[in-house]
Amino acid sequence: MALVCGSASVTFPSSSFPRHSHRNTSSSLVGLQFPFHKLVSLSLSPSSSSSNTNARILRIHSQQQDSSLVPPEQDPRFLCVEPEPRFKGPDIWNKTWYPKAADHVNTEKTWYVVDATDKVLGRLASTIAIHIRGKNLETYTPSVDMGAFVIVVNAEKVAVSGRKRTQKLYRRHSGRPGGMKVETFAQLQNRIPERIIEHAVRGMLPKGRLGRRLFTHLKVYEGPDHPHAAQKPIELPIQDKRIYLQR
Amino acid sequence: MTRIKRGYIARKRRTKIRLFTSSFRGAHSRLTRTISQQKIKALVSANRDRDRKKRGFRGLWIHRINAIIGKNKKKQYNRYSNLLYNMYKGQWLLNHKIVAQMGILKGNCLLMIANEIIT
Repeated sequence: MALVCGSASVTFPSSSFPRHSHRNTSSSLVGLQFPFHKLVSLSLSPSSSSSNTNARILRIHSQQQDSSLVPPEQDPRFLCVEPEPRFKGPDIWNKTWYPKAADHVNTEKTWYVVDATDKVLGRLASTIAIHIRGKNLETYTPSVDMGAFVIVVNAEKVAVSGRKRTQKLYRRHSGRPGGMKVETFAQLQNRIPERIIEHAVRGMLPKGRLGRRLFTHLKVYEGPDHPHAAQKPIELPIQDKRIYLQR
Repeated sequence: MTRIKRGYIARKRRTKIRLFTSSFRGAHSRLTRTISQQKIKALVSANRDRDRKKRGFRGLWIHRINAIIGKNKKKQYNRYSNLLYNMYKGQWLLNHKIVAQMGILKGNCLLMIANEIIT
């Protein structure tokens, strides 16, 4: 089936997008830019007769989807721009996308808020760290801070399973001999509850200059209030089903 | 034998190396012996990392594809692995780079493809 791709690609001058992905049985190919919705009607099965019917069915289906919103000729996603910008400006297809400064301005990042009541500590911290780092975005870049801000409220109500409440130890060392200080989860929660979530999330963020800056995007608060109403935070989408404590 | 001084031969060789290392930090661009060592290390890293670069970018593309597929499609099989499997089944010859670029630049197109081929 690779022959289909190879033979027809000769007609197109090096535009990578149509060359790879066109697999039309009908030759409705218009120069470089072909309306993408026609591409969707692929022939996935080898036999031509069934593929034609499949193609027709798929094409009708996709056009119905499109036309319900905007007619395909005016849909901005599929507008054929003449000449294709790729040939005039920088090569946006063959160079892997890297964010410009305007793509990661702090003022335009999303703010999320999450209530820590009765959520398992580690799973909550993992979700938070993913959102802060930006790993859920398609524009993820490891060297750039593309993530969002996360506000955690009710930090003192975060839950742990098993006997961790009395057995999980938080250690720190002052640097001097004999300077190890140990606290249990319960003691730390009474003393400084925010530190528990901060400790957990910091362990899940990268360690380094960027990681330290990412950590400043986490805001943890002990009660239900937070001073960031002006940022209009939205609810953090949680995919993990086991994040709620099973009683 | 007649006495032969080495003259400036060694210095000529070292100035070329020094030019290569001229932007390195601290002693690595100032001290003669360190300069020779650092040049070797730099070239070794460059050689090795030309192959790692290929690995690294492929991983980045895979991650980006997974992110956009998993983000918007709330169907059951909204993962990179399913997308790739169905692409192979449907004999799509797109490489990872282009699929990832499509995800960023023309995200809706990629989602339309994914909707069609992920059953």
